[in-house]
Amino acid sequence: MNIRKLVWQEFKHRKSQLISGLLAITLGIAVIVGIRTISVVSEKAVAINLDNLGANILVLPQATTVDNYYTADIDAPTIPEEYVDRIVSSAIPGVDNLSPKLTRRIIINNQKVVLTGILPKNEISSKPLWQKSGLLGKDNTASCAPDNVNNTDLGYKDEKLQRKVIDSLGANECFVGSTIAKSLQLNENSKTDILGSSFIVRRILNETGTADDDRIFVHLYKAQELLKIDKQVSAIEIMGCCSAISDGLLSKLRNVLPDTRITTIGQIVSTQIQTNNMMNKVSLIFLVIIIFVGGISIGNFMWANVNERRREIGMLKMIGFRKGIIYQLFLIKASILGVIGGITGFILGTVAAMWLGPKLAGLSVNPLPEMLLYSLIISVLISLLGALIPTYIASRIEPFSNMQEA
Amino acid sequence: MILSVKNLNKKYQHQDGLVDALKEMSFDIPKGNFVTITGASGSGKTTLLLALAGLISISSGEISFKGFRIDKANDQQLSKYRMDNIGFVMQNFALIPYLTAIENVMLPLATHKLKNSQRISKASELLELVGLGNRKNHLPRELSSGQQQRVAIARALVNEPSIILADEPTGNLDPSLSVDILNLLKSINADKGITILMVTHNPSAADYGNFKIRLDNGSLN
Repeated sequence: MNIRKLVWQEFKHRKSQLISGLLAITLGIAVIVGIRTISVVSEKAVAINLDNLGANILVLPQATTVDNYYTADIDAPTIPEEYVDRIVSSAIPGVDNLSPKLTRRIIINNQKVVLTGILPKNEISSKPLWQKSGLLGKDNTASCAPDNVNNTDLGYKDEKLQRKVIDSLGANECFVGSTIAKSLQLNENSKTDILGSSFIVRRILNETGTADDDRIFVHLYKAQELLKIDKQVSAIEIMGCCSAISDGLLSKLRNVLPDTRITTIGQIVSTQIQTNNMMNKVSLIFLVIIIFVGGISIGNFMWANVNERRREIGMLKMIGFRKGIIYQLFLIKASILGVIGGITGFILGTVAAMWLGPKLAGLSVNPLPEMLLYSLIISVLISLLGALIPTYIASRIEPFSNMQEA
Repeated sequence: MILSVKNLNKKYQHQDGLVDALKEMSFDIPKGNFVTITGASGSGKTTLLLALAGLISISSGEISFKGFRIDKANDQQLSKYRMDNIGFVMQNFALIPYLTAIENVMLPLATHKLKNSQRISKASELLELVGLGNRKNHLPRELSSGQQQRVAIARALVNEPSIILADEPTGNLDPSLSVDILNLLKSINADKGITILMVTHNPSAADYGNFKIRLDNGSLN
């Protein structure tokens, strides 16, 4: 018989009380775990979807507007291609992908076409520094979401994304947007003439509903040669992590490239940030509710327990148990309640998230093992806080209550 | 002397004013005696026992246990004093209902640095002594009242006390069981030399004592 055994025996003796005491804390932790698990996966899914939409930061020449860039204004100014190196060598965190582009409106067979020069993967291979930075051609990942979620489970099914991971593009090869392919009657492997050079159509891109449908993509260096704009680009598209953007990524980029216009594609970024913030706020609100409800529930349970055991506590103090030992008795009990509540709450919340995630949010939810640690910490803290006042009262019970009742 | 009491006074605050529970009480108890404390209801018997155990503070006077001033000790010192030197036997047995007989007996050892096997061996030995060797794993509700009081006596002995304070130990027992318990206490006093202070209102129980204190309205009679 020692203190832990005494606590354990008391638990066994009052099983129904134990279950009712655990109910609130278990359900509370389950709600937190469920919401948090779904929100983490949801954040990841949002991040990936937004990544699929493309870059969220544009680096443009100072005098250019976003409209100029998208309409490929023939007179639009350019910036040196060397600016890509500057961004890469500055190693600013939160820059997921860089894509320098040169765009100009040209005429092919009497039709207006936007010629876009891009850097495919084989060019990147020759520049290890660019590879490390996640420059065009790196497998796409979304750094905005937590690292532990398995990206492959969520899948990159969007065809639009594939254009960013083009393996190679020869000097006389091109990709053609779906709309322009129809109007120029081009097929894969057919030939077309661009500004006096013959090109083989390597691929017709799937319809995206964006300006890309009206574009022909060639290698950046070939575009520079054809357009006679050496070592210049129209813009550098950056896929920046949204949380990094809210942490000042833009101003860091402006410090590196002071003579450029750096802008976010505001709606995309704000949507992601708002979604993430909303989920985090919901988790936080539930956490506060659970601290109150769980703490009060545990406190109520412990209070009832102390009242029921007044004679027993009095007897323990009578035979020489110090106040500290009485504290131990109740705080060990509260900790055990917290541990059991944390584990059962984690299991219940995770199962609920895995079951409800696909039904409610269309998300495939995997368990987040690190949530077990958070569940345990929160649950034990709530239990200890709830037990503090009843424990204090227990320690002050008069030791001679047995004699008085005799 | 194992216990010395000098000019002990205890006053209670009551809605009608101060009540003198114990008045100018002085006595010495030699080691190894079987002391009975008798008196009418409200005469201060239990109050005296509480004061000797350091369970209540006194208004004035001195109480010493082998020179240790109980009346001047703090909470921690008093807890240690009781844990190391006192065994308690109550009228209501004061057993924990969800612990078996042997677990109840081991309870005072819960905070001692002993191996569990040592605790079990000591408690088993004492249960044998009180005639309950075959009831070690019974819960209190599975034992008769006489057996429960025997478990309480075994528990009082487990920390090898110098004194046993017994508050109406036969109050809840029928006459034949009362005799058994009183005989058990007498034999413990004789065999182990443990000083016993027993509060009782039963005149025949009081006859077991070789040192008798009779209280009358808070004073020694």
